[in-house]
Amino acid sequence: MSAVYTLGIDVGSTASKCIILKDGKEIVAKSLIDVGAGTSGPQRAIDAVLEAAGMTRDQMAYVLATGYGRNSLMGLADKQMSELSCHARGASFLFPEAHTVIDIGGQDVKVLRIENGTMTNFQMNDKCAAGTGRFLDVMARVLEVRVEDLGDLGAQSKKHVGISSTCTVFAESEVISQLSMGTDKCDIINGIHHSVAGRVAGLAHRIGVVKDLVMTGGVAQNRGVVSALEEELGCPILTSPLTQYNGALGAALFAWQAATR
Amino acid sequence: MSINALLDEFKVKAATPKQQLAEYKAQGKKVIGVLPYYAPEELVYAAGMVPMGIWGSNNKTISRAKEYCATFYCTIAQLALEMLLDGTMDDLDGIITPTICDTLRPMSQNFRVSMGDKMAVIFLAHPQNRFEDFGLQFCIDQYNNVKEELEKVCGHEITADAIRDAIKVYNKSRAARRAFVKLANDHCDVITPTRRSAVLKAFYFMEKPAYTEMLEELNKELEALPVCDWKGTKVVTSGIICDNPKLLAAFEENNVAIAADDVAHESRSFNTDVPEDEECPMMALAKQFANIDHDVLLYDPQSEKNRRGEFVADLVKKSGAQGLVLFMQQFCDPEEMEYPYLKKALDDAKIPHIKLGIDQQMRDFGQAQTAIQAFADVLEMSK
Repeated sequence: MSAVYTLGIDVGSTASKCIILKDGKEIVAKSLIDVGAGTSGPQRAIDAVLEAAGMTRDQMAYVLATGYGRNSLMGLADKQMSELSCHARGASFLFPEAHTVIDIGGQDVKVLRIENGTMTNFQMNDKCAAGTGRFLDVMARVLEVRVEDLGDLGAQSKKHVGISSTCTVFAESEVISQLSMGTDKCDIINGIHHSVAGRVAGLAHRIGVVKDLVMTGGVAQNRGVVSALEEELGCPILTSPLTQYNGALGAALFAWQAATR
Repeated sequence: MSINALLDEFKVKAATPKQQLAEYKAQGKKVIGVLPYYAPEELVYAAGMVPMGIWGSNNKTISRAKEYCATFYCTIAQLALEMLLDGTMDDLDGIITPTICDTLRPMSQNFRVSMGDKMAVIFLAHPQNRFEDFGLQFCIDQYNNVKEELEKVCGHEITADAIRDAIKVYNKSRAARRAFVKLANDHCDVITPTRRSAVLKAFYFMEKPAYTEMLEELNKELEALPVCDWKGTKVVTSGIICDNPKLLAAFEENNVAIAADDVAHESRSFNTDVPEDEECPMMALAKQFANIDHDVLLYDPQSEKNRRGEFVADLVKKSGAQGLVLFMQQFCDPEEMEYPYLKKALDDAKIPHIKLGIDQQMRDFGQAQTAIQAFADVLEMSK
């Protein structure tokens, strides 16, 4: 029997990610473009993943789109699904014992409860940027550092600086105020990480945290946020090098399920 | 008319309040705007005037109202003021401003001050203690004041007989809407969430006898259809208002039907009839207000029992729904404060639910659409 290849596309608000899966088990290729919905990102990510695999769209048995921009690909994808379902499926694939998934994306935060590999409950943040990847982007710009350096810089902090978690705009003002008082940037960054963690932990407590706890999404690459969140929740957090691809992975897995049904 | 023609007509009526207001005025009728919640509209009808509901707008943004309102006022109230200030509702002859919640109470004074001599602004304070004799008397006193102010606008006395007739007209409409809600559950393939909303919303703008006649015709057509074998999922909706077609379309896209509702703009407004056997019609209206139960906005002396939460959980079970979608209006204190109790009742009954933060100024529903789609997945898996 010939192999079944499926493509999962996750069009997020700030990045576009693709994964090609062979027989629902093996990752053949992946791509990531740092712009998301409403940009050239999704098409570039698709072109990149097909090129990396040396394959064409026609060789894909099923293509499934997810993420904030999932509806924009309906001409290309066979189906679209919510990123919550895809993140739950992707996390279960990477961590079979996962029961709680925290996904911090560009503009929203989701906490998912998983039972037997299936999402049974979830919570999303209110329509507010506080606690999201966008919050960290704004803060990095104010602090004149790269967002990918926040984790390492925050780890050098020596004292706690409180930053509010209520509102991105208020928090930005607080950061500017701290900078004007000469507070060390590393301490401010550590405060920002705890601000994000406090906000996300509140959301997680609404549905309860059951081990294993997995964190996905781009922000899971920031070890400062992961560490602050472990502290807030009193629970170790599992992450994967594929964290940013988790939604696309889930989409490719659902695509395989649809292709072989 | 066919079902589709009736539904199209309701859709037009729900979407064109300003046009209907202009038509009423062209016919020489006086029109009274009625703000949420529980104003005795029967008095307006009995006065020979047309009552029109004012529950904000999905097509406006707040600008002029900011001159009067703090940021945390709910958008329903702010957009009502916006439409009174920007000329949208200049044709109104007056408004009734109930004051049940902490936003509407001070807002009534914003309406009064901002309208000046432009139109009659009729203040209405319902009693918190609705059941005792003194509560009923307070309610009657308030309603008498509303009646007197309406008489100034219409220029004649509102007779007891006219009020009794109005009570019958309104009870008939309530019965038709309750029947429709049940039929909508049986025929959710025809009565989609957007259509359901349009049918119920049209009530606020149409003349009541005409509305009831049209709805009874629709109900009759629906009764003749075989009950739908719905393959999708069903939910109960809860909240103050959820009438945005764009948001409701997300339900349809994910095969989610609305089995019943606990929405102030919908069933909560017509669940309770006015008693028709009461000698004094003003007492009948006061008793109807006293008889309203399981309402987040009204004082419940037994609130420690979480009767309301259990009522809503029971509504989900009885309606055959698998879950509940709560539309949480931004800055709605009563709904926000009640949520933990509702959540507890739903959790105890093992009923899944989601809470969607909404605001009438929202134009993008990407996050809500994602939540509804994910919720549909969860409900589908649990079937």
